[in-house]
Amino acid sequence: MTSNPVADRAQSAPATASMPAITLESVAHQYEAERTTVRALAAVDLSVAPGEFVSIVGPSGCGKTTLLRAVAGLLEPASGRVEVFGSPPRTARRNGALGLVTQEPGLMPWRSVEANVRLAIDLAGSDGSATSWLERVGIDRYAGLYPRELSGGMKQRVALARALAVDPRLLLMDEPFGALDELSREAMRLELLALWERERISVLFVTHSIREALLLSDRVVVMSGSPGRILEEVAVDLSRPRTDALLTEPAFVESERHIRDLLRTSA
Amino acid sequence: MQRTGQLETPAPAAPEVVAVRPSARAAARVRGWLAVTVPPVVALVVLVIGWEFWVREREIAEYLVPKPSAVFEALRDDPGRYVTAARESLTAAMGGLIIASVGAFALAVLMAHSRLLERALYPPALLVKLTPIVAVYPLFAIWFGFGVGPKIAIAALITFFPMLVNALIGLRAVDPAALDFMRALDASRWRVLWSLRMPSSLPYVFAALRISVPLSLIGAVVAEFLSGSSGMGQLILIANGDFDTPALFGAIVVLATLGVALTGIVAYIERRVLFWHDSMTGP
Repeated sequence: MTSNPVADRAQSAPATASMPAITLESVAHQYEAERTTVRALAAVDLSVAPGEFVSIVGPSGCGKTTLLRAVAGLLEPASGRVEVFGSPPRTARRNGALGLVTQEPGLMPWRSVEANVRLAIDLAGSDGSATSWLERVGIDRYAGLYPRELSGGMKQRVALARALAVDPRLLLMDEPFGALDELSREAMRLELLALWERERISVLFVTHSIREALLLSDRVVVMSGSPGRILEEVAVDLSRPRTDALLTEPAFVESERHIRDLLRTSA
Repeated sequence: MQRTGQLETPAPAAPEVVAVRPSARAAARVRGWLAVTVPPVVALVVLVIGWEFWVREREIAEYLVPKPSAVFEALRDDPGRYVTAARESLTAAMGGLIIASVGAFALAVLMAHSRLLERALYPPALLVKLTPIVAVYPLFAIWFGFGVGPKIAIAALITFFPMLVNALIGLRAVDPAALDFMRALDASRWRVLWSLRMPSSLPYVFAALRISVPLSLIGAVVAEFLSGSSGMGQLILIANGDFDTPALFGAIVVLATLGVALTGIVAYIERRVLFWHDSMTGP
């Protein structure tokens, strides 16, 4: 595959090009526990532009995952409106617009690495070869191996290749590098950035690492818990491509401190 | 299965391929196999020889405990009798096992998709399991006659529940992340069943087969005891009536061999099918 699928799609459907990738309007949700009702989200408004990389940071249990699942259509929020490219998540899902990467890789252990990616291609009815996607995330050498023969980092690469292989216009990532060691996290972050800069798809990235969020995103959405709500949206005005050299830059340090203070005062 | 070791993330290097000569690997495999098989075989041979000498030395009556050599002679003198009986019992056992396993798996698929069906059908299934099967044999004889029918029915009845419970657990025990992935791609229920639930259930299905293969033989032989019409159960009844203890032991040896062989076949298939599963890390 030589052409850029996102660009192709944008040309063929100019009307959707300017439409937000994600629109959330007063989305609220609660879980019924045995005796109490846990309010996971309280009236969240959020918009993500096409091609934008947005991260959500917040403490555990602040509703980050609930929000992402609502966008993926895996969860029907109790109230509010969720739209993905101007239609309900289910429609977007049906059109193969969504790619999902979760903290657990969720690979099929009975399928080889290549067959795992091929399953995604079959399900989405997209074209493109599994091997070329494995190449793009740098693991084509392991195409014939089975998940249990791979380390955590390699499995997450397969999960990423699988999510990208459906040609998504929106990539939803829920702490995808959460279970990885520091070195693997860094390598995966760079891979993801390189891929995103090439493919220019929209990304909603849930993490509890402020640094990870700042290094990756155009915008960081800071959430606080019980009930989950957005404290502030922090625009990240750092030049790209971003490397670890940014970690000591005053603008980066200032943003990091600001977000940390936000989270601390809300706790 | 050759493991390539844990591959670390930064700098994805080529998989570490350790050059092992095929002949050396085969030799290692044979050594491993011998280490597992030789000790029990030696123990069995020692036991049989000790038994033979003990019976000869103490001049124990043959109808109480026959010499192993007498058992061997009983088997050798009329092998056709055992082969025919074993074939009849095996047919009933396998017939019942296959019908029950397929039926139980199909029911488990339905129950896995509907809590209502599960709530409705699980208690009756449990009731059937908890009823002593011997009690229903006369009923089966009335319904299915005195041929192979009631034997298959008993074998099916005794093996149905282990498969139902295991398959149901297995079909539900899917990796939630894998399920989310499929749902995010709008996979249909059928696709999820075929590509995720069924493969996930296989370890549980094989666990059920390991339980139900010997159970199916028990079911068939018990039915033959009750009907007295054919098979190993009938052979045992006749030998018992004749005080032909060597033949009785011969029948036990044949049934034990059948049980071991069937379990071995299941284990072999399991190793082939579940190569990807964590339980298959051993030699």
